[in-house]
Amino acid sequence: MQTDSRDRIMATRFSRMLSVRRPALVSRRVFIDSLVRLNPLRLVANPVMLIVEITFFIVAAMAIYPEGFPSVASLALQSFYVEVALILLITVWFSTLSDALAESQAKNTANSLRRLEMEVSSKKIFMEEGSKRIVPTPSRELRKDDLILLEKSDTVPIDAQVIEGIAMVDESLLTGESTAVRKAPGDDVIGGSQVLSDTLTVKVTVNPDETFINQMIRMVESSKRPKTPNEQAVTIVLIGLTAIFTILIGALLGVSLVLSLAADLSVLIALYVCLLPTTIGALLPSIGLSGISRLYKEKIVAKSGRAVETAGDTDVILLDKTGTITVGNRQAVEFVPFPGFNEKDVGEAAFLSSWHDDTPEGRSLIRLAYENGFVPKEMNSLDASEVYEFSASTRTSGVKLAGGTGFMLPKSGGTGRERGRLRRKFEPHVEGGVPIGSDEIEIIKGAPDAVKKIVKSVPADYDKIVQNISAAGDTAMALSRNREAIGIVRLRDVLKPDIKEKIMAVKVMGIRPVMITGDQPLTAKSIATEVGIDEYQPEAKPEDKYHIVKREQSETRIVAMIGDGTNDAPALAMADVGLAMNSGTQAAKEAANMVDLESNPAKIIEVVMLGKQLLMTRGAVTTFSIANDVAKYFAIMPVLFASTVPELKALNVLGLGLNTAVLSALIFNAIIIPLLIPLAMRGVTFKPSGTMTLFLKNTVIYGVGGVIVPFVGIKLIDMGISLL
Amino acid sequence: MGWKEYFLAAVIVNIFQMTIAFVIFSFQGVLPLNPQGFPGLSWDLAFMQVISFATNTNLQHYNGEGNCVQLPNCSNLTGVPGAPGLSYLSQMMAVQFLQFTSAATGISVAIAMIRGFIAHAKDLGNFYVDFTRSLTRILLPLCFVASLVFVGLGVPQTLTGYERIVSTVEGATQTILVGPVASLVSIMQLGTNGGGYYGANSAYPFQNPNPASDIFQIFLMLLIPTSLCFVFGQLIGKKRESRPILWGAYALFALDLLIAFIPSFPVVGPGMEVRFGGFFSVFWTVVTTTVTTGSVNASLSGVNPLVILSAFNGMLIQATPGGEGVGLMYMVMFIVLTVFIVGLMSGRTPEYLGLKITARDVKLVMIAFLVHPVIVLIPTVLAYSTGAASAIGVGTNSIGFTKILYEFTSAAANNGSDFLGASANTPFFNVSTAIVMFLGRFAPIALLLALGGSMINRKRLITDVGVRTDSFLFSIVIVGSILVLVLLTFFPFLALGPIREFFQGHANGF
Repeated sequence: MQTDSRDRIMATRFSRMLSVRRPALVSRRVFIDSLVRLNPLRLVANPVMLIVEITFFIVAAMAIYPEGFPSVASLALQSFYVEVALILLITVWFSTLSDALAESQAKNTANSLRRLEMEVSSKKIFMEEGSKRIVPTPSRELRKDDLILLEKSDTVPIDAQVIEGIAMVDESLLTGESTAVRKAPGDDVIGGSQVLSDTLTVKVTVNPDETFINQMIRMVESSKRPKTPNEQAVTIVLIGLTAIFTILIGALLGVSLVLSLAADLSVLIALYVCLLPTTIGALLPSIGLSGISRLYKEKIVAKSGRAVETAGDTDVILLDKTGTITVGNRQAVEFVPFPGFNEKDVGEAAFLSSWHDDTPEGRSLIRLAYENGFVPKEMNSLDASEVYEFSASTRTSGVKLAGGTGFMLPKSGGTGRERGRLRRKFEPHVEGGVPIGSDEIEIIKGAPDAVKKIVKSVPADYDKIVQNISAAGDTAMALSRNREAIGIVRLRDVLKPDIKEKIMAVKVMGIRPVMITGDQPLTAKSIATEVGIDEYQPEAKPEDKYHIVKREQSETRIVAMIGDGTNDAPALAMADVGLAMNSGTQAAKEAANMVDLESNPAKIIEVVMLGKQLLMTRGAVTTFSIANDVAKYFAIMPVLFASTVPELKALNVLGLGLNTAVLSALIFNAIIIPLLIPLAMRGVTFKPSGTMTLFLKNTVIYGVGGVIVPFVGIKLIDMGISLL
Repeated sequence: MGWKEYFLAAVIVNIFQMTIAFVIFSFQGVLPLNPQGFPGLSWDLAFMQVISFATNTNLQHYNGEGNCVQLPNCSNLTGVPGAPGLSYLSQMMAVQFLQFTSAATGISVAIAMIRGFIAHAKDLGNFYVDFTRSLTRILLPLCFVASLVFVGLGVPQTLTGYERIVSTVEGATQTILVGPVASLVSIMQLGTNGGGYYGANSAYPFQNPNPASDIFQIFLMLLIPTSLCFVFGQLIGKKRESRPILWGAYALFALDLLIAFIPSFPVVGPGMEVRFGGFFSVFWTVVTTTVTTGSVNASLSGVNPLVILSAFNGMLIQATPGGEGVGLMYMVMFIVLTVFIVGLMSGRTPEYLGLKITARDVKLVMIAFLVHPVIVLIPTVLAYSTGAASAIGVGTNSIGFTKILYEFTSAAANNGSDFLGASANTPFFNVSTAIVMFLGRFAPIALLLALGGSMINRKRLITDVGVRTDSFLFSIVIVGSILVLVLLTFFPFLALGPIREFFQGHANGF
């Protein structure tokens, strides 16, 4: 077990490393795979390349037996045919190589994740006549609704729901969250996580092949990967162009025969292959595949490629303030005393009230007090204090310290139950509900309006201070000592690093960010303004997300959102792009079309950018491929009818050698494929800017550039060949 | 009507009209209004001619003024011996009739397709309503006025038969056929039909007597195709969306003019038969192909090969601004294709007018785009391989190849100008061009109506962050994309035809 988990840790680290490492050069396995893919039967899915391979066979036949091709081939050109055939084969090989590379890259990433889901023997529970029988079962044989027993240090074999028991579970391998998570009946456990304590009975919620990771792995097996709508449309363009050029070359062959223009079949085939959209034909599968790979590296599982593309179309993006824009917990930054008290009083009260509060917020109060030297002398009696746990109805928490003579709670509290009985629920509205002894100190902290209700008198500038703090975008927390308001703690939201730049980029791309927060309007506004968001929904209830999604969609906008809770599920299901956090509930994950294994909500922005990049790359390579054809005409047409229509030599604007022009064009046509593999795998790089700017910029680079580059490239290759 | 219904209605109405015209052509010898006593046309010629007129092509394998061998004073009459002529009844009830209906059909289907793009449209409209209104509200009133203008400019409009011209340049007398010419000329130009009353078309003095009538005819040709560009924006409720269509069309038109004029302005090439001088002849040739009218005011045989290249451009693109209605449809086709391929680079699923372009749209557009090369290139090869070209004396040199390629390009583009004229009145050319014209007309119409039909009820995005198709820069992109797409498809054939001819002429010191 120990070695297993170490392996898994290694696997995770490895996949993390991948995201920064450049893809390795062609390995032996990839090389062999690329050769296997040359099998014509395997090329059926890629009609352009299949045709190129067919032309290879024709030219190869011409090289071997030119007599079999009367009036379109000549014996004198036999060595030329060999050269053409070789280049044609290499063209196809470059294409299969690109496929093999992309697939191996995607598989590597996927496999590193699959290792998280390794075969684990699980303890399946059989119910027999009221008695339980436990049978060891491999995880792949588990089915939905099976019951399994999980004991300490067991690995959860598959996604499941807790039926019985409470235990601590380590999900760090999957979510990156280092603290163990407490799982109680109703909670979900994720396959691959590990039970740290106690025993659980869980019910399997998915069949083994339905788990997210399995869904993801299936998407990289190129043969099974369904084409996205956009890929289908590009494929149709490619098939259409192929049909057009097939008719063109067929007619040209016909014209050459009927007009006795003596075109050589190999040159005609060279023209054909050069015109065919071979570049995009070769790279189209790897563009889609590497898009998915890039998602994996971000530790995001997409349930379909379609969702990724839709992400590129996003018009509105709903961002939860907490976790996306801010780091998720507020930090205390200042103690503001009310008249009659000083900072020290407030700091000490904060210290005492937070001693039992393990939330990051509570810890930050202690840190701030400690840093200022406000360590209360009552600290020693903290162990014997009575704790008021935070409750949603009172929105306060606190502590009551017995004075030196007061009775003391047992130090370690005995059993949990005993401790619990001693804790009384704080009832703010019952006058005198909590008797306070003369030497007792009771400190309550909480939302200013909640604390206001329980204090004996409200200081004059109570509201003003609170409001000032809110207006600055901070959150106020009130403190009371023995029912007397003593001061306010200023808690500040900590922005995530880079979030401003990310939101700026989103806005520049024409996407409207909407911030969703439970904060009150003033705080919400201040944070929104700070990061540059114009639209925000303060005091949001969970169903508000659903309403916003619905409203935006009714105005025909594409909405992307993130969610984790069960009450996010309807909105996630309705949104065009729903990214669920892996730490979230099963319902949310079911409803979303992507799941982030690391549960980092800010990644929604990266997903949108990735979707855009995917579409852009596909368009860029298609445009480039078509634009390239112009130059190839000028290279090959002068040669095609050189003997009978010498006038067309005037088209030889590049001044290519008549013997080398065809080979130069063909070599350029082939070599451009591997040269663009990095572009296909990495995606087109772009600076966030408006749609029209991107469109024009890319049109100039890949459209106009696509016309010019081959002129230069073919000329250079031609010069190279003539030197040989 | 859905697109299928609409298309079916259009085809059925057209076939019905063709049948009437076919009967008139075949039996004009025994039908009234035939003072010249022209015999009926052969079945293949009649078949080809009805399709030619009904598809807005107006390729003519006959001379309107006909053959006079059976008339007593034949030696004094003009006309090409052996070529069949048309009676007044045929000219009016068959030719003019189909020129009106084909123009009305073109306008109707274009409007129907646009309706698909209009937000909240329930269907593509009703063909019968569109067709009738196009006739009664656009074509008939305009032609009435235009006919009066032509009569005022000296174009005959009569049913009196032959007119005796007292003196010619040589001082002899000559007898020339006159008839209801003005009314025919107005619809043939306004409806981008192009089929003239006389074999020499608008090079013939009675059809185009003076520079004023020449300019007026050019104006009529451009009138409706240009107006339809504005109609597009008007109908979909975004006037700015007319810009890429109009600007794109006229930019390509300007490019055609540039190609045509570089070598020939202001010099008239040797052997060029012109009545209006080099400028007007070349300008006309470009205009007539740019709107696929196909009327001519100078013989194509004499013009510089680059003028022919420019004419090919117009016919291969068909959207500069193209024929009545269909030109607009082709432009939308090019825009959808460009928005898809190039628009992907904006990082969003391509959309046009707020409509996301789906795989099915791309399929329809690609097939529509594919129709043209198929019906131009295959018959061109067949014309040679079957010996049909050599049978009418067309050679295998660049000039001969240009003629054959031009014939089928003109037929496919529903243009109608040609080199061959009445000499192509052979069963091969009649039947092959008839098939090419029919497919060139109705296949793209069906596919593009289907495109319009599939836009109905599609979710419309009101977002304004997509590619701005109404911008000046997009118009540039669309021009570049059309040039690359069309020239890629036909470049080798143009290279063997007019381009080769140009270089040959260049070498010979043209």
